[in-house]
Amino acid sequence: MTAGGRWRGRSASRRTVLVALPLAGFALVGLLAPLLAPADPAATDLAASLSPPSAEHPLGTDQLGRDQLSRILYGARISLTVTAAVLAVSLTVGVLIGTVAGYLGGWVDRVVARVIDMAVSLPGMLVALAVIGVRGPGVQNLVIAMSLWAWAPYARIARARVAGLRDSPHLDALRLLGAGPGRIIGRHLLPPAVAPCLVYASTDVGAIVLGVATLSFLGLGIPPPQAEWGQMLIEGRPYLASAWWLAYPPGIAITVVVFASNLLGERLAIGDERPSILRWVLPTRPRFLRSRNVRPPVTSASASASASASASASASARAAERQPVGPRSAGPSAASAGTLLCVRDLSVAYPHVGGYRRVVADVRYEVRRGRILALVGETGSGKTSAALAPFGLLDPDAVVTGSALLGAGGEARQLVGAGPHERRLVNGRRVGVVFQDSLAALNPLRTIGAHVDEAVRNAGRGGRRDATRRVTEELLRLTGLPDPIGTARAYAHQLSGGMRQRVQIAIALAGEPELLVADEPTSALDVTVQAQLLDLLARLRDELGMAMIIISHDLAVVTRLADEVVVMYAGRTVEAGPVATVIRSPAHPYTRGLLDAVPHPSAVPGTRFRTMPGRSGAGPDDVGGCAFRPRCPIAIAPCADHPPELLTWAPDPGAPASELVAPVLRRVACFAQPAATTRAPGGVGERDGD
Amino acid sequence: MASGYLTRWTLDTVGVLLALSVGTFALVLLARGDPAAMLAATRAGRPATPEQIEAVRVELGLDAPAPVRYLRWLADAVTGDFGLSLRTNTPIGPEIVERIGVTAGLVAGAAVIALVLGVGVGIAGAVLRRGLLRGALRVAALLATSVPAFWLSYLLVLLLALRLRLVPTSGMAGPATWVMPMLVLGLPAAGALSRVVAVTLREALDRPYVLAAQARGSSPLSIVVRDGLPNAAGPILSVAGFTIGTLLVGTVVVEQIFGWPGLGAYFVRAASARDIPALQAAALVLGGGFILANRLADGLQALIDPRLRRTSTIGPRPPRPRRTASFRTEPT
Repeated sequence: MTAGGRWRGRSASRRTVLVALPLAGFALVGLLAPLLAPADPAATDLAASLSPPSAEHPLGTDQLGRDQLSRILYGARISLTVTAAVLAVSLTVGVLIGTVAGYLGGWVDRVVARVIDMAVSLPGMLVALAVIGVRGPGVQNLVIAMSLWAWAPYARIARARVAGLRDSPHLDALRLLGAGPGRIIGRHLLPPAVAPCLVYASTDVGAIVLGVATLSFLGLGIPPPQAEWGQMLIEGRPYLASAWWLAYPPGIAITVVVFASNLLGERLAIGDERPSILRWVLPTRPRFLRSRNVRPPVTSASASASASASASASASARAAERQPVGPRSAGPSAASAGTLLCVRDLSVAYPHVGGYRRVVADVRYEVRRGRILALVGETGSGKTSAALAPFGLLDPDAVVTGSALLGAGGEARQLVGAGPHERRLVNGRRVGVVFQDSLAALNPLRTIGAHVDEAVRNAGRGGRRDATRRVTEELLRLTGLPDPIGTARAYAHQLSGGMRQRVQIAIALAGEPELLVADEPTSALDVTVQAQLLDLLARLRDELGMAMIIISHDLAVVTRLADEVVVMYAGRTVEAGPVATVIRSPAHPYTRGLLDAVPHPSAVPGTRFRTMPGRSGAGPDDVGGCAFRPRCPIAIAPCADHPPELLTWAPDPGAPASELVAPVLRRVACFAQPAATTRAPGGVGERDGD
Repeated sequence: MASGYLTRWTLDTVGVLLALSVGTFALVLLARGDPAAMLAATRAGRPATPEQIEAVRVELGLDAPAPVRYLRWLADAVTGDFGLSLRTNTPIGPEIVERIGVTAGLVAGAAVIALVLGVGVGIAGAVLRRGLLRGALRVAALLATSVPAFWLSYLLVLLLALRLRLVPTSGMAGPATWVMPMLVLGLPAAGALSRVVAVTLREALDRPYVLAAQARGSSPLSIVVRDGLPNAAGPILSVAGFTIGTLLVGTVVVEQIFGWPGLGAYFVRAASARDIPALQAAALVLGGGFILANRLADGLQALIDPRLRRTSTIGPRPPRPRRTASFRTEPT
């Protein structure tokens, strides 16, 4: 974890501490009430009854002239006493029952589980009222009544925890060593069961305090003359309108404790992933970063981010500022005829502990009309983010910067930073997307037909219901589904993976798009279905003249379909160019490694694959210098310094002249690549595009 | 499949209700003091003689063993006969029936407030990703669940009745007097419900099919209505049933404060007077209503989501945010 991560992590727990602060204050006040209270809470002084706050009585006095502040403090004491007692009883009982049941298993466990379920589903207020109704009020009965209600969640938590541990090899080993059940439960099962129960207990405080106050308010909890908040409120009721100091302070005290407890419960239950109110009370990042697509994600996440990384980030920011939404004249290569999508300096960052972490850094690629571009890289290389970011199809927390122009010349539309309305003019009309997990990409509660109908209507091709459905069936037939009418009535889980993938393609085609983005379209399918789908995609490209972006880790898919390829590593482009030349003469050591890892039909049986050492998964800014350096066989000194730029590259002097004037240039980002000179035909020595 | 589920659902529900009845009956065993002596004293108007007490004991059947008494009591209770109040020496059944209407009306009004506000605020909380409004709604919801009902009633009395003079401070005489009890009962429930709606709907909206809907150009409204809410409906329905159940329990406080002659007030009075038969009757009816509301919601949830029909009809269901401290019970 980076230094920034540690900082943010500490700050998150600091906020949890802040939330718990009122509870700690409650406990302290309860413990220290005799020291803190200015007066005896029971000392009456009828001469000074109902006097407003003064120096002598900071919170005034009640109808019997008792000091209100002292009574509030002692009220905390009695609440704390009851709370502690209830927690002690219900924790002990609950954890013991849950642990023993979870350890024994079998029918005992089933019966106990049933009892726990029923006890948990009984309304606590009724249980407590009924028990006090037959036993009478008083502290002891209050504790019994509330423990009868409060034990069950602890038993449930402990049981679940122990049931998970019961069959662990660790316990088997202990049994073999001769440890008896008592020892196993006491030494090895109780401690892990108690821990989550203690966490839960910290959030249970509010419920118990509220219960004590409610019962006391009803005259069934703490009897007078002991001061308790709920009971103070009922005693003060006749003076509600005239003596505000009787009406407000006890209620505020209860509310603060219960609110803090609820807030703590929410925080502990859902972790810190969801924004809590304290995020805007104590913002950890500047306001302007909150709205998406506004600022560059200069990554404070990585303390080791090199100067050049931040320099390029700010360069991309400048680029984004220079190019407001709308047409613009792109660089020479972008303006070349036939470019459908031109992506420049695209960065994607996500909020990360302490700030932002880039997953895609300064990526560039072009998609030409009617051609297929493959984005290749291993899991986590950022290829999906790089392809979906222009269309706003990332997690809403993602911050996207850079430029992505759809169309060329005067009609080009800037996609980065587009609003929801602009997106709807692009998504589903000009661009269709096929997602990787076809089951998750379809709403389980709607039929296939409903999905496709919606896509047809969104694209403005729908009409009356039956007209829309006819288009739907036509689309399903186009993607090779044998029974379009039946498929339209089915739900996603009733179809095979290959059929669902065809359904996704049908949805994507509904708007007759110019560009189809397919994220690992064949990954989860078996080989024959893969081949059929690849044929389908190739046929669609030929028949409809669509351009495509195929995201894949499978070089076989790429060589079969794609015209151009962009190889990504750790969020950056490492190599790009026409498929044929990249495959034939890979320039980047990572590309070479990828190709070596593919089984070759002509290889001598028994030959070992050459695999790349090391592991993937780094982000673009996690390593100073070239992200591939730790795994690179040919790294040289400058590689540790800063990430190499993506430069135009001519493979070798003997290359066919056609490659030098090809519409798609070879580009490589590697210091060690000796031929990585800048002998591009157009601009010598320049970083093209800028 | 569906009929099998219905059978299991019915059996489970009857089982839970029976468990409730056993627990309610067992209150007698916990009791301090002798019910026969109390009733005899009520009748005599002064401490009763041992002969009088023995006569009442035989009359009430308290001389029989506990299981026999339980079965007799249950058989009578099913027909609406809850015996005599120890406090007033009058039959409990008719009084309960009379009071059910009051409580049902109060709960119905509060349920409308809770459902409309809770679902509305919850949707807003899920759709707004960040910003002040979202935070404010969340704080308001948590505050609503944290403020004790009796203190909330004070605040409303001070504001609406005494300062603005819009409504009377208490009583049950026409629509103006309904406002405060229904608000006091409904607002905390709305707060709790809104948190659940917000979290479940947010989860539904974070699923990949929402991205897919954006990719095909669906409008945000369509995504919430067609993709988000239906997929969040199961848990929301279950919590809505639970919320209505908690409203029943909440009447215990609210009726007491505003002087409504309903079941909740009856329960509190019975508890204060240690009037055990009346207490049992009120506990059985309120608890039964609470359980039925939960069970009905769970049954409906299973109708929506076929996957749930295979599992037990009691017990942990899909993950749900933990309870907030409203001192009622944990949503199961």
